[in-house]
Amino acid sequence: MKPAPTLSTAFLHPAGQSLPEPLLALRKQRGTALVDMPLPTRKTENWKYSSKYLKLTDDMAISLPAEGKTGSSLAVPGYKVAFLNGVMMPEACEYPDLDGISIKSFGDLSDEEASDLADRLDSTLDNKAVQMARLNSARFEDGLLIRLKPEAVLDQPLFIVHEVTAEASGSAFPRIFVDAGRHSQITLVEEYISSGSAQVMVNTVTEFNVADGANITSIRLNMEGENVQHIGSTGVLQQRSSRFESHTVGFGGPLRRHDLQVRLEGEGAECKLNGVVVTQGTQHYDNHTTIEHVAPHCNSEETYRNIAADKSHAVFNGRIHIHQDAQKSNADMNNKNLLLSNGAEIDTKPELEIYADDVKCAHGATIGQLDEISLFYLVSRGIGRREANVLLTMAFINELVEQIPVEAVRETVQGRLNHFFEQTFQEA
Amino acid sequence: MLSIKNLHASVEGKEILKGINLEIKAGEVHAIMGPNGSGKSTLSQVLAGNDAFEVTEGEITLNGDNLLELETEERAREGIFLAFQYPVEIPGVSNLQFLRTAVNAMRQHKGQDEMNAAEFMKLAREVSKQVDLDPAFLKRGVNEGFSGGEKKRNEILQALLLQPKLAILDETDSGLDIDALKVVSDGVNALRAEDRAILMVTHYQRLLNHIVPDYVHVLAGGKIIKSKIIKSGGRELALELEERGYGWLGIKDEETADSSAN
Repeated sequence: MKPAPTLSTAFLHPAGQSLPEPLLALRKQRGTALVDMPLPTRKTENWKYSSKYLKLTDDMAISLPAEGKTGSSLAVPGYKVAFLNGVMMPEACEYPDLDGISIKSFGDLSDEEASDLADRLDSTLDNKAVQMARLNSARFEDGLLIRLKPEAVLDQPLFIVHEVTAEASGSAFPRIFVDAGRHSQITLVEEYISSGSAQVMVNTVTEFNVADGANITSIRLNMEGENVQHIGSTGVLQQRSSRFESHTVGFGGPLRRHDLQVRLEGEGAECKLNGVVVTQGTQHYDNHTTIEHVAPHCNSEETYRNIAADKSHAVFNGRIHIHQDAQKSNADMNNKNLLLSNGAEIDTKPELEIYADDVKCAHGATIGQLDEISLFYLVSRGIGRREANVLLTMAFINELVEQIPVEAVRETVQGRLNHFFEQTFQEA
Repeated sequence: MLSIKNLHASVEGKEILKGINLEIKAGEVHAIMGPNGSGKSTLSQVLAGNDAFEVTEGEITLNGDNLLELETEERAREGIFLAFQYPVEIPGVSNLQFLRTAVNAMRQHKGQDEMNAAEFMKLAREVSKQVDLDPAFLKRGVNEGFSGGEKKRNEILQALLLQPKLAILDETDSGLDIDALKVVSDGVNALRAEDRAILMVTHYQRLLNHIVPDYVHVLAGGKIIKSKIIKSGGRELALELEERGYGWLGIKDEETADSSAN
């Protein structure tokens, strides 16, 4: 038998030595653990559909230089943080000094702060399941630590732009850690964009440590170009009566992968996970979510919609795990899919594992096409076929888009989706 | 305005229309009555351009232009409007957005400027009142959760907004209580104009009490077997159909509704 391919040693050399000592030490330790790490293959269950799109060639192992300018495509009011190729760009950041809220680059942390962070990085993620997040832990060059003291409220959304730009191949490893104290509140918008045309990889990890009663809204927009492989992981650890709400909107690419893991560890915690994915051409998008109901009386509500056009491929894998002690859990998962062409493919898999006996757990998945009768109705009113197709396709996801809580983001997303579908139906 | 000659049409290989001839002039209102399965809805759908139906023979012209060469949306822009027997629910597209898109498609076709959201909202509210539909319905998804009567009123609302040359009403009276029937009829009567024709397709005579047609035709077995001008016996024909059913004309009222048409 052929030995399973392992991660090239080229990936074990992190760049950027300006981090505080405890973080450098952590990184080194994580790197050592990656020696001989088997790469995902077709036979790796949670990479079954995506492993063939993953290109971890040696040229991808190079750290992209953090040089150049960055700019969000979102012209919206709020606080701003900009990353370029995984490194924070202080000159492009705009956020005030606020009472009880600290927003700092990893590079600016004191040894004490860094040591505390090093103890907690990766704590929200099941690293065995999120194999690629381990690579980020061995390679991050910078990062953002957001700490909210108890009761602290960030009064405006914080926009974090992650841009990659490169003239030659390589990777970026952005990292975010949010530590939300009791009853604190924050809305975080992460936008992933790219410029340049070299083949690059973005390998990113965002973690939320959510204390009792804290309320987090996370919006994630994947807007990178056709030259970018994106592998992202988000970990959420929720304590008593906390709330986490996530809205992800993803446009396809050669490889888009997002793992979202939420662990409801305190009684009465609740999460709401919404996701919209659109793919065209030969794009590939793979969302894997896991919700762990560990404590009793927790609620989770998950709604994902995929739309695949042309010969593209979308994957949704939603796992809900209700632990034995998690009585009175309430879990609801729903995944609807729309195929816009005969050549498109969508794979959806709900995975429920329930060990408690007094729970409510519902799930549903459908795959369909645009409704001919609805289309006829629209065109019979003089509406052009292309516009009618766009209206009906938008209708499939409007319910989710309308729930995006930041108006400026919502409108931008609507505009981009519209544009995307107008392109999709150009030939029609 | 509309001229139908020897129209044959089939669905899934089964011939439904077997040689329809009909002339409708501007300003006229025609009623087509007939039993279930006679091809009434098929005729409506063929006129609107539903490509589930195949025209195998004959011709349809609108003001001299060959209608059969036009796509559904082109026919609509030329002034054909079909009020659906079963209006479609489209959650996720707001009624307002749908109506405005349609009105602007028409305006664009006529070389007029598009209406902006505020202008259109004003117009849509006015017309909503005319058909006794709460303007709150404009914000809901297209026909989403509307009752049968509300759906029919929404159809008439569209006709009033789009101002077609030929309005085809497919069983617009079905499922309406007497009050709703009155509202819908008032809406249709408001559409009557010298430069517009109306074709009503109905199983029952009662609609004709509210909207008095100029002609009554009886469609059976895919053909028009009887036509009367209302002034000389058309009304009596309709009443007789109501009282005696279709049997006396030697027609079997097929209980199998022409579901293929819906």
